[in-house]
This record gives sequence, C-alpha cells and structure tokens, in this order.
Amino acid sequence: MSELKEKLKTQIIEQLNLEDLTIADIKNDSPLFGDEGLGLDSIDALEFIVLLDSYYGIKIDDPAIAKEIFHSVDSMADFIESKK
Amino acid sequence: MEIFITGYGVISSIGTNVEENLSSLMQERTAIKQGLNSYTSKFKVGEVALSNDALKSAFDLKTDGSRTALLGMVAAKEAFKNHSHFNALRTGLISGTSVGGMDISEVEYRKEMAGEKPNYKKYFHHPSGTTSEQIATEIGITGFVNTISTACSSAANAIMMGARLIQSGQLDRVVVGGTDCLTQFTIYGFRSLMIFDDEWCKPFDNSRKGLNLGEGAGFLVLESKKSLEITGKEVLAKLSGWSNASDAYHQTASSPDGDGAILSMKQALKQARLEPHEINYVNAHGTATPNNDLSESKAFINVFNGKVPPFSSTKSYTGHTLAASGGIESVFAILSIQNGLLFPNLNHTSPIEETGLIPIINIQKNIEVTHVLSNSFGFGGNNSTLIFSKI
Amino acid sequence: MKIIGHCYINPRGAFFNGQNVLIATEENYLKNYFSELKIDYSKFYKMDLLSKGAFLGDYLLRNSYKDLLHVENELQFIFANTSSSKETDIRFIESYERKKNPSPSLFVYTLPNILTGELAIKHKWFGENIFYILTKFDSEFFNDQIVMSFLRGNEYCLCGWVEMTGSPEDECFMFLVAKSEVVNENFSNNLNEILNTYRNE
Repeated sequence: MSELKEKLKTQIIEQLNLEDLTIADIKNDSPLFGDEGLGLDSIDALEFIVLLDSYYGIKIDDPAIAKEIFHSVDSMADFIESKK
Repeated sequence: MEIFITGYGVISSIGTNVEENLSSLMQERTAIKQGLNSYTSKFKVGEVALSNDALKSAFDLKTDGSRTALLGMVAAKEAFKNHSHFNALRTGLISGTSVGGMDISEVEYRKEMAGEKPNYKKYFHHPSGTTSEQIATEIGITGFVNTISTACSSAANAIMMGARLIQSGQLDRVVVGGTDCLTQFTIYGFRSLMIFDDEWCKPFDNSRKGLNLGEGAGFLVLESKKSLEITGKEVLAKLSGWSNASDAYHQTASSPDGDGAILSMKQALKQARLEPHEINYVNAHGTATPNNDLSESKAFINVFNGKVPPFSSTKSYTGHTLAASGGIESVFAILSIQNGLLFPNLNHTSPIEETGLIPIINIQKNIEVTHVLSNSFGFGGNNSTLIFSKI
Repeated sequence: MKIIGHCYINPRGAFFNGQNVLIATEENYLKNYFSELKIDYSKFYKMDLLSKGAFLGDYLLRNSYKDLLHVENELQFIFANTSSSKETDIRFIESYERKKNPSPSLFVYTLPNILTGELAIKHKWFGENIFYILTKFDSEFFNDQIVMSFLRGNEYCLCGWVEMTGSPEDECFMFLVAKSEVVNENFSNNLNEILNTYRNE
C-alpha cells in the first residue's frame, strides 16, 4: 500500500505538471484540493480521472464522485485497492 | 452613431439559410441527434447534414477551404447577397473562429503519426486567419480582413469590433460573425472536460448535465448611415449596445456569481442607453453546463433586479456552435424582433433550484419585441453582450 | 498615447525597457526565467507556452503599472499572434491519438485567449480582453485598436504579440500604453523600432 502511495505521488506530479513539488511535499492524508492542500482545481480533478484510466485502467464517468476519491493520496490509494 | 444591420446569413444543423432556421425555431424542432461522421456518431450533436462537397455544389462555392471556411462562406454569402461593390465604401470582413482548419489538419496529422506521408499542402488551410481570408475571397471583399479568436465569444467580439470600426470611421460597411465546424479535436476536448450530455442538453434545467456540440456559421452586414445612403439597403434592425468584460475567475469555469457576465450586460445596457426593464427577450449563452447556467442565471437576477425578462437558450436547437454561436444567435435575435417571436428553450422541466428562474417554454407569437439582449461567454473568462433593437 | 513600459522574451534572453534582464542558460528557457525571477506562482508550471510567455512579460512590466490606480477596470488587453495555440493543439492531438486519453489540462490551453484569462485571474482585472490572429506583427493595427480603446474610456492598454510555437524564432513582445493628452503621430513607427531593436539583440 505504501508503495502504491509513493508511486501515486510520482504520477500526480508528472500528470499535473507540479514541477515545483517533490514526493516529500505531498503528505498521505493532506487534502489535495483547495487552498489548504496543494491548491489543485477542477481541471486537475479531471486530469486525475485520466491518470486513473491510463495507469490503473479504472474509469470514472461522474466527476461528482471524483471529489471524494481524490480528497487525498490515502483516499486515492484506498479506491484503487478496492477496485483490484 | 447608429449601426444598421442590412444583411444576415446563417447555417446550422436546423437549416442552411435564415428561412429554414426560422422555420425550425417556430416548429420547436431541434436537429441535435447522433452524428453522421465516424467521430460524431457516438454522440448527440448539431451537425450540418451536408458534406463538404455537397456544401460546395449546393452553394456554388468557388473558393476551397476547410469545413469551417466553407460553412463561413455559406452564411457570409447569404448575408452579403444583393449587396454590391461601391468604390466609395470601405468594406471589411471580421470573422471569429476557434478551430480554423483543424478538421483538415487533424486528418493529415493522424496520417503523419501513423507513419504515413501526409499531404503537406493541406496544412495550408489550418490557420484561423486563412479561414477568414477564404471567406472574404468568396464574397469579394478585398479590404480590411480580420480574425478574432476568443473561444465561444469570438463571433460576438467580431460583431462588436465591426461596430467600433464603423463608429471610428475606419470602415463604412462590414461583414461580421463567426464560424466553427465539428472536429474530432473539439469533441475529445469537451469530453475530457466532462461537460458533455449524452442525451439532449437541457439549458437552465435543474437536471442539466452538460452541452451538445454543434457546428455552423452566422454573419451580419453592418453599415453606417453614410453607407446606407449609398447602398439604399433595407434596415433589418440596429445594433444598439455591445460590451466585453473579463470574468477574472478561472480558465474555463464561470465565476459563481457571474461577475464578468454582470459587468458585460450592464455596460451593454448603458451603452444602448436602455434600462433593464426595456429588454423584451434575452437569448442566453445557456450552454446547459451546470456551471454556466447557474452563473448566468445569477447574473440575470443581478442585472435585471430580480425581474428577469423572458429568456431562452437556442443551443437546445443547434447545439453549442462555439466560435459561431454569437453569430448564429445574433441572427436569431434579429428574427425575434422582425417576427415578434420569443423562441422557447427546449427540454426544460424544472427550474434551477438556487434561482427558480423559468425560461420561455412555449413559442410566444405576436409579441412587440423592441430590444433583444444576446450573451456569448468564452473560455478564458471572455464575456460579451450584444443588444439588438427594432428600427 | 504613451508607452510606459515594454518587454521582450525569446529563447535567448528577456528584456525590460531595452535592458537585458535575463540570459537563457537552459533549453527550457521559460522555466529558466521563471526560477531566476524567483516568482511564487505554482500555476505557472501548468500553463502552455503562450500563457507562460505572457505571464513572464507581465511580471517584467509590473514596475510600470504597480502604482497606477484604476487598472482593475480601465485596462484593456489587446493580444495577437499568427499561429494561435499551435504547440498545445499538437500536444492535445497526441494525448488522444498516441496516449488514447485526451488531456483536459492540455485542451484548456488550445485557445490562445486563455493567456489574457490567466492575467485577469492573477490580478483580478475585469476589463476588456481580445485576441486577434494576424499574419505578422502589425504596429498600425495595434495603434488603431489602442486609439479606439481610449476613445471609449479605457485608460490603459496592455498589449502583446505572443508568437510562440516551440521554435527558435519564438517571441513575446509586450507593451503597456497609457492614455495621454499628447497625440503621438509616430506611435506605430516607435513600436516597430522598439521591436526591431529587440529582435536584433
């Protein structure tokens, strides 16, 4: 699981062009969206949907569900595990 | 200075000329359906049913070009028919487009990526500027030719720029509008933004899911008073107000309260020297995305002090024709004034919960329509409003 | 009409009011300038070439306007180029043709006028904004647009020629013009001289 989370962080940085961040800057449980977290926005959420599809073959059709899944690295990893 | 409209032309999925478009609007008939091309067939789109070759022969087009250019030629030709060349008049053309010749380039580029040899000559049609040059050539305009690319407000901005060039005395007469065709590129793009509705779009409905894309073109002929004296053309309506403002919120999303939309509508009203209650009909931007329709509704409530005039989104007929939408909907605004009609918003069953606003549901006939306000909002937070008035 | 500041960015260097401020030391010159200038704006990394160019140009120009009042509503953006958003267009096509997954963050930038949106968002500027496609830089065209803009009540025009496609010829030329009582008959000539000097640097 922790391996998955580290891998996710690398993929997030790459997919979202977060060139100013390193893996160490992203905490497992901190919110990814909004000003308190990484400051990601709605377009980034859509890019997460692409990420899940390209790397994990998981398709999400409803952007509304995406909000919960993409809350943090923890929640993303849980979701990916649950789909295995 | 007054800006007179003496010509209009439109091609969209609901008709290949003004008369056909009017007839579909009056019969409350949408043309949004499963597409005809490989890249449109999986979706509900407002596609013009004629192929490029069919367009060329049906409208006797002499100039070659991308589908965007061909559609533009058809509408510009209709707008400019019966208009003649006058040495004493400086005539220009301003066209808005967002995809330009992408429909041709994407086919060649796909070949290139697959290792096949593309036809490099075809890339010639790609630039948006070329699209406008080709339209100008087709209708015989050789003077001022300009292209605007501000996403879905492109045509509205082209109309606005035309009015300003007449006001400042740089032009006497100008053909203005916009054109965009459906492409694989735009379909994939809007799909990736997840603002597509797989069913018929439902503007201003509480259960709206997103937009249907469409294609087409709409053009107007604007003239100064001096030009009118020479051309002697019949005036269809006046362009009495125009404005553009930034929303300054997000690259693609509208601000929650419609700040840019409020500014744009208020400034257009001020310029037209009209009070909000004098507007008889609002042709909304109304894309049917959850974000646009809520934001635009809130802006209506603000600008019209809670007394929102009859409004509708005709994108439920044509689909969202992107850079062309401001041109097509300007033609619809003039048709509303000329025929005393208020066009209904299709597929509406329940008002948006937050605002309770109900658009026009059934066609309204024999209405005294004096002033129509038309909105066009583009990605990049580019918000434009035009006001058309009875002569 | 008074030019109160101008700047120029290309793959070799960045200039402000005729002075060379930065020299590119890396191939990714826009990122290079951004880190040299130590700007704190993480959204920069997500932008396309055009928005990055205009963002940096605006940053170089900031000293020309930061003390001016009324910029918020009475400033108009007038931008133009020839190739629209060609570089991002190609990258977006590749995202769905090669990777089979159309990228929403690329699609957003397949419109050139997003760059004016980025500047408006950054500064909360609510004024007019427009993007033209021209065959080449046309100083007379800019002159005419600025004159008309001032006539209808704008006080400032932030203008830009942002022709960037990922080629060595890429350039971002920006200039801020203030309304003034003095008529500047030589405006378009001045503009051409400034740009030509930059191009020959």
